Amino acid sequence: MKLLEKASRIYLLASLLIYAAVGIAFYWIINFMIYDEVESRLMVEKQDFEAYVRTNDTWSNNSYFVENKIEVVPVFGKFDNKVVFTDTLIRNRYEENVDPFRQLTFYTLIGGTPYRVAIRKSMIESYKLIEAISAAMIAFLGLLLVSTFLFHRVLSGKLWKPFYDSLARIKDFDWTKNKPLETVRSEITEFNELGDVMEKMASKMQHDYRSLREFTENASHEIQTPLALINARVEQFIQAKDLGENHTYWIEEIYHAARRMSRLNQGLLLLAKIENQQFTEQEELDLSEVAFNKLKDFEDILQHKEIRVTVRSTGSFRKTMSPALADILLTNLINNAIRHNYTGGELRLESAAGYVQVSNTGNPLKSDPERLFERFKKESTGAESLGLGLAIVKQICESCELGISYGYEEPIHTITIRG
Amino acid sequence: MKILVVEDEKGLAESITDYLSREGFVCEVANTFWQADEKISLYQYDCTIVDLTLPDGNGFDIIQTLKKIAAATGIIIISARNTLEDKLKGLEIGSDDYITKPFHLSELNARVKSLIRRRNFGGNNDMTWKDIRVNLPARKVFIKDIETTLSKKEYDLLLYFLSNIDVALTKESIAEHLWGDNMDSADSLDMVYSHIKNLRRKIVEKGGKDYIQSIYGIGYKFTAP
Repeated sequence: MKLLEKASRIYLLASLLIYAAVGIAFYWIINFMIYDEVESRLMVEKQDFEAYVRTNDTWSNNSYFVENKIEVVPVFGKFDNKVVFTDTLIRNRYEENVDPFRQLTFYTLIGGTPYRVAIRKSMIESYKLIEAISAAMIAFLGLLLVSTFLFHRVLSGKLWKPFYDSLARIKDFDWTKNKPLETVRSEITEFNELGDVMEKMASKMQHDYRSLREFTENASHEIQTPLALINARVEQFIQAKDLGENHTYWIEEIYHAARRMSRLNQGLLLLAKIENQQFTEQEELDLSEVAFNKLKDFEDILQHKEIRVTVRSTGSFRKTMSPALADILLTNLINNAIRHNYTGGELRLESAAGYVQVSNTGNPLKSDPERLFERFKKESTGAESLGLGLAIVKQICESCELGISYGYEEPIHTITIRG
Repeated sequence: MKILVVEDEKGLAESITDYLSREGFVCEVANTFWQADEKISLYQYDCTIVDLTLPDGNGFDIIQTLKKIAAATGIIIISARNTLEDKLKGLEIGSDDYITKPFHLSELNARVKSLIRRRNFGGNNDMTWKDIRVNLPARKVFIKDIETTLSKKEYDLLLYFLSNIDVALTKESIAEHLWGDNMDSADSLDMVYSHIKNLRRKIVEKGGKDYIQSIYGIGYKFTAP
């Protein structure tokens, strides 16, 4: 949910609750005041009534009181001498409906006999007043609610604009490029502070990225040089005439280990470089053409392993990507298809618009196919395999937005690259 | 033949000079950019081996200076940087060859020799050793003056041996020389074995001696029996 929307919703909800509470309280106050007024008037009439009875000592149900009805009923037996206010409904004399009245009931002696006297006063006018006041209040409160809500919305939108503009720029920011991040300046201190912090972080990221790139390059150099030295010394050492069988075995092991380490180093550096998007050169290539050309480099080994090669192309697979990466991608794919093939097996290279597919015969996978593209995931225990080939393929596909999938239908393994 | 080795790693520079001296080259070493700069302005070399990353400068600058003052000198770059861009840049500014670290000394030796041959004779010469004569421009091989037909890989293998006479060569260095860097598998070592077998057979068939000596566990040596 967007900040503005969330704030609006909370505001709306809180306003509704507060306004409702205010409305109810207001209603009660008015109601109370009107009752108070009516009751005090009834009390005055009671005094009038009592004064009349005191002087005349009699009461006739005449029309002394025009507006109000006074009901005088004689009481027999016990009664509770109390003054009580009650609400009551009385049928209208002329119209077919009932009207609300406030009634004061008390007991008095007229000519020595106890009577229950009920004085009533119509509430109909008061109720109309309450209704009118309530309606006006609801209308005004509603208007207030809507207008402050709209005002709040517009104001927030204006106030937060620099924030959203900066956010858009941060989203567009690319730390692999040299262009610094520039946030939007505004009158609001907090936004400016946020902008400063973001700019600082962005320049730190760019700086770190650059140093990582440099580190990648330097690490390559620093590690390869001592390895080159080991290699060179071993080569000098094997020129000695009097090497025992043990010596040659040890030397061979050292030599192998050094070469393996060098390859591992190169593989990991390559992965890091792809991850860091250091292959920036772009060119439109026909990947099927690259694949078929690559296959020629492997002629010798294909012949040696007596692998039958089937090539089928029904169109060109155009893709804009780094030529160096395309070369590494297809070399690794074909190399993989040869390495895990068996003598006398088969290799199929198929391509059309949108895909290149390399299939090879081979033993079924021992491990989970899901993990095939992971680093150091080795199928064979052969020391020659580093377990980086397919990880590099996957990484290239990810960075060039190519899809990759693996399938197995005994005894053919298939890896498909899709554009 | 005088060779200048510009390499900051002293051990590696020593290995290179030792190896090349055995092959009859006169080697000098420069461990820093300024030493190299001084030496190339004072002396003449047939070939210069340059490491690109030096503590006090860039190998590319040395190559540019060399190209200005001594255009006849052959230049081989040895570098840990193995990207295509670096290789192309190296060749663009006038180096003749580019080898990535770690490399085989035998490979470097073969490249130096091939470079000097191209420089001095324009490639128009024969390479002769014992009964074997190789006509380089025509890529023809004669054993006791009888022409032998070799496959492309067998020819490359023979040249590699002829550049490294009496030197123990590892199987790996031979495989890498023939198929490059990306063919790293047990299969390529088998292929080396079968190519060696064929080459040996072809030389012996034409009346040559068996010059290829196997060294257990390591590789092969081309030597007079």
